[in-house]
Amino acid sequence: MRYISKTRLFASSMLVSVSVFGLAIAANAQEATFVVSAQNVGTPSYNPINGTQLNDAITLIFDRMVIQDADQTFHGQLATEWESTADGMSWTFKLREGVTFHDGEPFNAETIVWWIPQFAETENAFMTAAIESVEVIDDLTVRFVMANPDPNLLSNMSSGFMSIPSPKAFDALGDDFGVTAAVGSGPFKLESFTVGQETVLSANEDYAWASDLSKNQGAPHIKTLTFREISEDSTAFLELSTGGVDLLYSVPTDFLPRLEGEPSVQVGTMPGTGLFYIPINTTVEPFTDIKVREATAFAINQKEILDNLYGGVGSVANTFLIDSLLAANVDPTLRISYDPDRSKAVLEEAGWVMSSDGVREKDGTKLQVALWTQNGTEFKRVTEVVQAQLKAVGIGADITVFDSATINDQYRKGTDHQLAVRSYSWANADIIDWFFSGQRLGYPNVSMWNDPTAEEMNLAAMSGSHTWEERVANFTTYHEYVLSQYVFAPIYQPVQIYAYDKEAISVPEAIRGTRLQSQTVVDITVN
Amino acid sequence: MISFFIKRLLLLIPVFLAVSLVIFMIVHLVPGDPIDNLVQINSSPEQKAALAAKYGLDKPLYQQYAIWLGNALTGDLGDAIVLRRPVADLIAQNLPHSLSLGALALLFSTVVGITAGALAAIYKDSWIDRVTMTLILLGSTVPGFWLGLLLIMLFAVQLGWFPVSGARSWDALVLPVLTIGLGGVALVARVTRVAMMETARKDFVMMLHAKGVPPWRIELRHVLRHALLPVVTILSLRIGWILGGAVTVEFVFARPGLGSLLITSLNQRDYPVVQGALLMLAVAVMLGTLLGDIVQAAMDPRVRERIK
Repeated sequence: MRYISKTRLFASSMLVSVSVFGLAIAANAQEATFVVSAQNVGTPSYNPINGTQLNDAITLIFDRMVIQDADQTFHGQLATEWESTADGMSWTFKLREGVTFHDGEPFNAETIVWWIPQFAETENAFMTAAIESVEVIDDLTVRFVMANPDPNLLSNMSSGFMSIPSPKAFDALGDDFGVTAAVGSGPFKLESFTVGQETVLSANEDYAWASDLSKNQGAPHIKTLTFREISEDSTAFLELSTGGVDLLYSVPTDFLPRLEGEPSVQVGTMPGTGLFYIPINTTVEPFTDIKVREATAFAINQKEILDNLYGGVGSVANTFLIDSLLAANVDPTLRISYDPDRSKAVLEEAGWVMSSDGVREKDGTKLQVALWTQNGTEFKRVTEVVQAQLKAVGIGADITVFDSATINDQYRKGTDHQLAVRSYSWANADIIDWFFSGQRLGYPNVSMWNDPTAEEMNLAAMSGSHTWEERVANFTTYHEYVLSQYVFAPIYQPVQIYAYDKEAISVPEAIRGTRLQSQTVVDITVN
Repeated sequence: MISFFIKRLLLLIPVFLAVSLVIFMIVHLVPGDPIDNLVQINSSPEQKAALAAKYGLDKPLYQQYAIWLGNALTGDLGDAIVLRRPVADLIAQNLPHSLSLGALALLFSTVVGITAGALAAIYKDSWIDRVTMTLILLGSTVPGFWLGLLLIMLFAVQLGWFPVSGARSWDALVLPVLTIGLGGVALVARVTRVAMMETARKDFVMMLHAKGVPPWRIELRHVLRHALLPVVTILSLRIGWILGGAVTVEFVFARPGLGSLLITSLNQRDYPVVQGALLMLAVAVMLGTLLGDIVQAAMDPRVRERIK
């Protein structure tokens, strides 16, 4: 009897441990941990309407009306069809049927009527500023009556800031929305969010409204998805290589050789959304002379920086916009590409002659300028190379390093800065307006450029276009004029590098979208 | 004893006020602006001004300080500008992580440091002394940031014993505790060794030897006990240091805590959070010192005598 009970005890405990083990494996099979990019560490909330900093999990919790593919084409998500009138003063959207929010509330025309006015008075008000009112045509059709044409509307609507929250939850939670809870209609539900640490998501099993960019039209394959925030890139890399996490949203270029040496790690790249450049302050000597600006711009050897600092990963920048934007297709003669002979020739023309110490002189004044940069290895390295490249044509540059929060303040306070190495991340041509509009001298218009012709072109591009094509044409013209005035020198376009543990998860080869967002994540499977 | 305690406590008030003023000034005089982290590309200067007014950043500095200090004294540390939560909540969420890390690191450096220091003193000039002191020299010169990565490489990557980072399980604490603790071991061991060697030369020790008390008993019961006084002082000063000094360690190990909160908020110039976190650290240093004084008084009759 005793023996039997012992055997039974043993058998049942074995059974328990086997099933626990089995459960653990089953749980593992559906769990994944992703690491957000280091620049997104400390993202305060998942409130798309008033948030100004959002991380990549936002597109998993919420859906958007339309989303963009990698080739910048728009695809419907919560909207199935849309059209605008020829004058751009009215847009009609057909909405997807059968969509519900995580709290069970239905998504319909009333949701949109509630949603658009929420942006008023928030930091993201400009997203919907052109929309005067929203009319309900029927339960699943809405019309936007426009105050003025906004050819950028679809682009805005595809951004994470125009993710659609559940109206009921949004109103009920008030300021706590996105902080203590966030309710959308996306493929994942928010389980918990600890700012600066981690966000835990669970699969929305009711999800059946993925866009045509996703193969998987049902609930996501990953059942529990954790987003961790790790500031130190080395730590994130070590987590990936030891299997502690499954995917890194961004990897610095200098980690590539090490990652490629890891047998279980797969590295992927997608087009970047940013650009490194040197704004040139057009209001201080010697840069009031366009010839000195031209010489500076053509002294930068973009290819050398790409090859030597970035190991050839990414691409050179020859305009102010990333290559994937249509307004980047400018007249080839206006592209700024390394030409040291041209630099030297225009400097000679402008009266700057070479002196014995390798720095040019004019009327007893040295061509010695200030070159600002911000802290961080990448910025320092690029700036040091830029300094050497300027020296090669006879421009001496003294580097000053500021911390990133301080440098914008410096531009605002003083106007005596000369050159700086900067970068931006923005995938829309209106970045030209942001950095070169005469309305924003000092910061963000670090070039301090205020030119009547440019202002007219700015107006046409920003608010004078009725259609997308017209907007592209106007921005191209504006962009070309900016290039012709040498108010900046382009340097480099980074790519987005992501890496994952290919033994743990399978990621589709083609990333659908401009970032690794919901349309791709629902297709990721756990091995 | 109680009057001593009250006197010391009262002394902390001017210190607290001075510290709060310094913290406030440093945070506000550093160039940079939290509003920059709130506004979008494309937002207007009017929106910026409205935000500055909303958070009281448009008021003169002395007014801002008075408002902040007044609220802080009633326990209200204000709301985070960028992180959009009450600062007290953020601190409450992070403090337990810092405290557990700090307490374990302090315990580790106390136990290992005193043991190593005592061994080195007892076996003075032997190989034990030399090896211990060499290791300690090494330990006190290695920067925490680098030591942390080194420990990760060895124990997490090569041996796979502990997780690389995070705070999801108890074993994630081991490497950060070692990283912070090892620096403390060096300090405690050196102080213990020197203090023990000095005590060993005192008359009463010679007297004990003359009385024929066994040497191990003299070393452990009498010499070590006397030598612990300066060690307690050092340890009490380290309480605040450990909480604040965990900044880089929390960063490397991607752990929650006051340090990582401070770094995130500093980068975003989230004034109320930086002020709140710094104030917490300052209070920890002050209370640590107070605790050190009290323990010292409890241990040393001479100190008690002086108080009377």
